[in-house]
Amino acid sequence: MSSQTSRLKTMKLEELLQRSVWDVDEERHIEILKQEGLRVNALILLCPMGCYSIAGDKLIMSYEGCVECGTCRVLSRSDQIRWEHPKSGRGIQYRYM
Amino acid sequence: MNIPSKFDTIVVGAGPAGCASAYLLAKAGFKVLVLERGRGVGSKELWGGKAYAQPLRDVWPELDKEAPIHRWVSKERFSLVWGERALTIEYKLGRKVAFTTYLTELVNWMARKAENAGALIVDEVRVEEIVVKDGKVLGVKSGDDIVYADAVIDAEGVNRLLLEKLGLVDKLSPDHVALGVKEVLSLDPKLIEERFMLNRNEGLAWFVAGDITLGLPGGGFIYTMRDSISIGLVLPIGPAARAAEKGLLKEHVSSLVEAFRLHPYFRSFWREADVIEYGGRMTIEAGLKLMPRKLYMNGLLVVGDAAGFLVNTGYTIRGVDTAVISGKLAAEALIDAFNNGGPTEENLKSYEEKVKKSYIYSELKNHSGIGDVMSDPFFFQKIPQVAVKAASKLFEADYEEPKLIRSFLNAAKEENISLLKTIYKLGRVAGKL
Repeated sequence: MSSQTSRLKTMKLEELLQRSVWDVDEERHIEILKQEGLRVNALILLCPMGCYSIAGDKLIMSYEGCVECGTCRVLSRSDQIRWEHPKSGRGIQYRYM
Repeated sequence: MNIPSKFDTIVVGAGPAGCASAYLLAKAGFKVLVLERGRGVGSKELWGGKAYAQPLRDVWPELDKEAPIHRWVSKERFSLVWGERALTIEYKLGRKVAFTTYLTELVNWMARKAENAGALIVDEVRVEEIVVKDGKVLGVKSGDDIVYADAVIDAEGVNRLLLEKLGLVDKLSPDHVALGVKEVLSLDPKLIEERFMLNRNEGLAWFVAGDITLGLPGGGFIYTMRDSISIGLVLPIGPAARAAEKGLLKEHVSSLVEAFRLHPYFRSFWREADVIEYGGRMTIEAGLKLMPRKLYMNGLLVVGDAAGFLVNTGYTIRGVDTAVISGKLAAEALIDAFNNGGPTEENLKSYEEKVKKSYIYSELKNHSGIGDVMSDPFFFQKIPQVAVKAASKLFEADYEEPKLIRSFLNAAKEENISLLKTIYKLGRVAGKL
């Protein structure tokens, strides 16, 4: 795949994300605790909001676009990823679902 | 939280199950508090788009008149797709069985019914713990606050953080859940009715299987709303994750949904449409396997998705009606318990008995074999591929059209599958679907 097509795809997801509404908490509710043994490809491809990506040699999680679905939670152990719901009504604000 | 100190019942989660329980308990005169983690009711809800009405009428007989119903489903379609080819079956219903709507709207209506009956609903409260002392549930904890109640109804949904802490359930396995990814496309109601050939207020539900999931277990759905169309994919997480790790799945799931939206067969239905919302949620794949070790304990009942009460038949997913009915059964058991000495473990046992006698349990049992289908790529690759290929031999013949049976035999042969094996596999699952 050329870098151009993959960039277009990423842009498409970014554009899609702009159609939904969040009230992002200052505090992260999901956190990678341990890189070892993470199902990297599954997390990157299956997180529907594309929250997981590679930076350098590490998997990083950007919680801002999270919809609290729990997919990353079932794909990992609790010592690998800390997973909570956002507090105070923060996070995704679905309107037409 | 600025909440009075003691309630008869606290319901955790203002989804369909929680709202049904709260409504019936409040209506019977009990003091009910519903705690919802979202801002407003419904902001965390995502579903496919269709609810079965009759079980909901069991709780709210006024449903048809009052509920925010977008369209009554008058047509069900099923398609097998491969490449740009598609084989479609359509069924025209004879009565009002199911309707489409946004779940965000529907639960708002349910919550309003509960409020009008006297329940107190407080949003933006994340319950972090069910407080237990000496084997008895005392209330719930959020931050430093504890709210006390004689009974707690756990309606927390598919992510069962509270039940895990209590030790009533294990952590979910990827093989027991599926990921739903959805787009909502806004479209003029007139265009929706023209394109899908619907009368006003009539809707269509469409289930799609084939290479839109790249041969992975799962399928696509399309529901017509009042002035939008909901489309999306449901992928069992276990097989999808394994495919991602083996390099068989190379694209992000959003690209699969996008390919579905842009598919040459489907896109003409919504070509002017604009995506107004995108999202995802996890859903239950193997309901029975997700049932908590116990549906009740001293002062606690578990309802809805949290209890695994979602029926996946392979072609429909029913979670809202089963949630509502489990909420109803829980409320009834609890009212009985309150009138007979309190919500002790012994007194709440009747909830589990009621569930086991209800259609929820028999449906979960009847369709439990779906797991065999869902884990077998044969049904998601070979079946659609051969069916579409056979149709192409029949309908794309320039000169000589094969006999019906020959078209299937040749298609099976070209795809290197044995018709006997296919018949055997289909026969084996036919009794389970």
